[in-house]
Amino acid sequence: MSELFKMADTAVEEEVRREIQEHKILVYGKGTKTMPMCGFTRETVQFFDRYGYAYEVIDVLSNPAKREVLSRMTNWPTLPKVFINGEFYGDTDILDPMAEKGEIEPLLKKAFEQA
Amino acid sequence: MITPEHLTQYIRQAMPDAEVTVTDKTGTSDHFILRIVSDAFEGKNPLDRQRLVYQVLSDPMSDGRIHALEIRTETKS
Repeated sequence: MSELFKMADTAVEEEVRREIQEHKILVYGKGTKTMPMCGFTRETVQFFDRYGYAYEVIDVLSNPAKREVLSRMTNWPTLPKVFINGEFYGDTDILDPMAEKGEIEPLLKKAFEQA
Repeated sequence: MITPEHLTQYIRQAMPDAEVTVTDKTGTSDHFILRIVSDAFEGKNPLDRQRLVYQVLSDPMSDGRIHALEIRTETKS
């Protein structure tokens, strides 16, 4: 790993941190909200559509470097990657059981109440 | 492509007590729903449970034998 790469990675990492601050619900996925390129990203979009809170999908399929940095930051190999209120929540494997227990609505409500 | 038996073997290597239920979601032998019941998950939060499973299956995932996984983890108690 050369110095140059390290600097680039740090820049990407900062970009990610900025993005998860900017969006209460953020999905790093394959494709976009209107054109998901993978079943799991589509499922995640459908999941958040149910709740009616604003959320953002950022495509990293076209950005391998960012995809790599994200995997390292979260120690999570797959896409999508979901962040709620700056915290990492994995994907629908984690979110679906939470929804079954009624934990999602309060979590989102709390996230959006904070200024 | 990977067989459910082979997949179960990978998991049991790391979690000998695991009860593994494999469902072939798409009929293409590369997209599975896994239900794993093991005491290895005891005291681990949901994210760490998944990380453990991904770690155990990193070989067949990185060489493409597994294209996609949906994972449900449970403990015996």
